[in-house]
This record gives sequence, structure tokens and C-alpha cells, in this order.
Amino acid sequence: MRRRLFLASAASALAGCGPIGSALNNNDNVRRILASAEGLNHLLIGTRGLAREYRENDVDRHFRVNGFAAPSDTRYTDLVARNFAPYRLFVEGAVERPAIFSLAQLRRMPQQTQITRHDCVEGWSAIGKWSGVPLGGLLDMVGLRNDARYVVFRCMDNDGSGNLYYESLDLHQASHPQALLALRLNDAPLDPDHGAPVRLRVPTQLGYKSAKWVARIEVVGSFATIAGGRGGYWEDQGYEWYAGI
Amino acid sequence: MKVAGRQAIYRYPLLTRASHWLWVLAFVVLIGSGLQIFNASPNLDASDKSDAARRVLAIGSPADGVGTTKLFGHTFFTTGWLGWTDDGMGAKSAHAFPAPIIIPGYQDLAAGRRWHLFFAWIAALCWLAWLISSAIKGNLREMILRPSDLPKLWPMQAFYLKLRKEPPPHGIYNPLQKAAYTTVLFVLAPLVVLTGLALSPGIDAIANPLTVVFGGRQFARLWHFVGMVLLVGFFGIHTFQVATQGVVNQMRSMISGWYQPQ
Repeated sequence: MRRRLFLASAASALAGCGPIGSALNNNDNVRRILASAEGLNHLLIGTRGLAREYRENDVDRHFRVNGFAAPSDTRYTDLVARNFAPYRLFVEGAVERPAIFSLAQLRRMPQQTQITRHDCVEGWSAIGKWSGVPLGGLLDMVGLRNDARYVVFRCMDNDGSGNLYYESLDLHQASHPQALLALRLNDAPLDPDHGAPVRLRVPTQLGYKSAKWVARIEVVGSFATIAGGRGGYWEDQGYEWYAGI
Repeated sequence: MKVAGRQAIYRYPLLTRASHWLWVLAFVVLIGSGLQIFNASPNLDASDKSDAARRVLAIGSPADGVGTTKLFGHTFFTTGWLGWTDDGMGAKSAHAFPAPIIIPGYQDLAAGRRWHLFFAWIAALCWLAWLISSAIKGNLREMILRPSDLPKLWPMQAFYLKLRKEPPPHGIYNPLQKAAYTTVLFVLAPLVVLTGLALSPGIDAIANPLTVVFGGRQFARLWHFVGMVLLVGFFGIHTFQVATQGVVNQMRSMISGWYQPQ
């Protein structure tokens, strides 16, 4: 009897977990308190060190597609059909020399190759060989103004409800030696599902920071006025801006 | 001092009691939110990157209305319990762990992560404060399993199994309690903290050997899960013991500190 009572109370305590958690989760103050851990993690972990670089035979030949599949609007499908010849990367905002680069120009810049692990927020990991233009070098080229604080990446995809994908890094993260504007994956130009023609690679943070289909790089003082104001598409859905953990 | 007319000893200092109950809260939240996070990718691989060839556990739904749990290649049908479960939105669908035991009680990875990362701090800081205070006060000495306790483990178990009339002589904690507390506080707690940290790409860039020691990121995720299962096992035995070994005395002692020796 006592044992049955014990098991029954244990089971009901366990099953209460979800509903009680849901109720608390919808409280703004609770959300604010819980989110305070992000600042602590950012302060303590930050962006230090280098992500591990792997060997050629560690590479996943069929690299898992993260996030959305390729955009289906005609603006993007036209670019694919024309092999990205009309593609231009705009670099603007709080920079000394705003610039527009074609894919050919990006390919002629000094390239970096890294074999790094992509860690998805969902929990899975895959290893890819990425080549492209180091982000720090590109930002040096355009020159940052004194009021520059964040680098915002505007992308070509949307979630079907018209919300354009975007992401942001602070200047420290953007100048990390492994922060890369990738043009190639596994020795071939990026394919549409993997973010062609240009995607970001930030191997020291979770995969959602590595925005695909980057069309415009905007250097800003604050991202508070962009979209939901939290610095990225997934951040606006409640994910942490600091995605190092 | 006497409690309820009987001699009692002051067994648990305030910090031990406070950390005990904070851990209870953190434990429940960390498990519920951890299962929420697990549901986003319900596979565990003994590898660095995800690798289906080294998959140890896979909870899934091969078809609508069917839930399966694959452990070391053996498939079990777990419809309703694992794989195809209550989604917390009034229906059943392809979710590994059922909504009533995940936090929050519906699919929301972002919220699950916020709960998990906040309460991980609570649990870890609580552990650190308890450890420092217990080391200074000397309570640790009575709790840690020593080589001289090893021969007493079986006699103690024999006593519990009613194969022996008297427990072997021991201090405040019996040898099995010492074994359990030492394992939980100094093996399992550090294991879940370190394997959790090893999952972080930011930590991996600072301290890659940590991830390597556990066999890589996915392997660390597997160890993290195993640590959780073992802690749940301890929790089950622990609450059973409390419920059957004088529940009033046990609960009172963890609330007021005063315990009546048997």
C-alpha cells in the first residue's frame, strides 16, 4: 500500500513537470530571470581559442543541411539559374568604404580553408571542409567606423511568413580568425541547400549563427531596431544571441 | 537535544539542507528541460560528429502512430511512451519523450535551453558552496567512502535484505549511504557538468581535450544522458529509502536538521 502510494505520487510529480513548466515559462519575469544565464555564459566562455580543425577523412561527404532548405522565390531561383553571375554582396553601414563585391571578386580574394565541426543547437554535429574569405580581412578592407559595434548579416531566405533571416556578431566574434564567409563546401562551390553562393561559418558557436545565403553585410552600432531587435532570426524566436553553449 | 520526546542529533547544517532542496528543484528542472533538448535530436552516438553507424540510442517514429526505441540495434515498440507521444497540444505525434515530463510541456527547444542553462548554474554553484562549507566544517569526512568502508558494504546490504540482524558498526552514515553519496556528489555530478560543458562549441575551442576525453561531442552527449539516467536511479532508490525508513524523521531532519538515531 505504502509502496503503491509512493509510486503513484512519484508518477504524478513527474507528470506535473511539463504543465507547471509551461505555465511558468509563459511568465515574462521568469523568462527574464532564466535568460540571465546567457550574459554569464558570454562573459565566462566568450570567444576564445580556436575551434578544433579536423583531417580530410573526418569530413562528412553528405553534409547535413541545417535550418531551412534553399529559398524558392524567383529572385533566388533566377540567381541559381544564372550561376550567381548577377549576385552582389553589399558591405555597408558604419564602414569607411562601403563596397559591393561580385562572386568572382570574392573568389579572387585571399582564401582560407578550414575543416571544422558544425554543432547544431538541436544536438547533432557534422564536419565539413569550408573555404572562403576570412570575415576579419573583408572588414579590414572596408574599414570600420568608430561607431561600429555589430556586424549584421542579411540573408536571402525567409520563413514563409515574410520574416527575412538575419544574424549578427559583435566585432570580437567577427574578427575571430576562423570566422569565414564560406564560398565552398567539401571542395565544391556551395550548393543552394547549403547557402550558395555565400554563407557564414562561425565554428565557435552553434550552427544558427552560421547564416546561409548572405546578401548584405551591414555594420551597425546597435541591432535593437532590426526585426525583433534581438540580433537574429532565431534570437527573435527566443534562442540566445550568444550561442557559444 | 530532544525532539518529539526522543534524543536527537543535529545532523544537517543549514547549508546542507538548503542545497539539498535547491538540488531537488534543479534536478527536476534539469531533467525535464534536458529531455526537451534531447527531443530536438533524439539520437545518441558514440562518436564525435553524428554517426548513424555508431548509434547507441535512437528514439523515433518510423510511421504515424508508431513509436520505437532502438538501443544497441535492438528495436522496441514504445508507442505512447517514447517516439510517438503526447505533444502537449492535445494530440499525439512524433516526439521522443512525452510532453508531460518535458519542460516546458510542449515542443520549445529555445525555452528548454533557457531553463536548462539557468538551473545548471544553480546546481553547480550550490554544489560548490556546499563542498566548500562542508570541507571547512568537516562534514565531508563523515560522508566520503573510504577503503576501510569497503568490507562493510555487503554486510550493510545483507542487513537491508534482512539476511542479517544488525547493521555493521558505522558513523552518522552507513557504508552504503557513503558509497551512494560519494558516487553522486563526486562522480556523477562532475560527470554531468563536464560532459555538459563538452557539448559547448565555445568551451570546445578553449579546452578541446575536455571533449576529446569523453570521445567527442556526440559521445559527451551520450555520457551526459547516461549520467542523468544514473542520477534518476539514485533519486528513485533515495526517495524509496526515505519513504520506507521513517519518513517523518527523515523529512524533519532535512528540514530542521535534527535527526533521531534509530
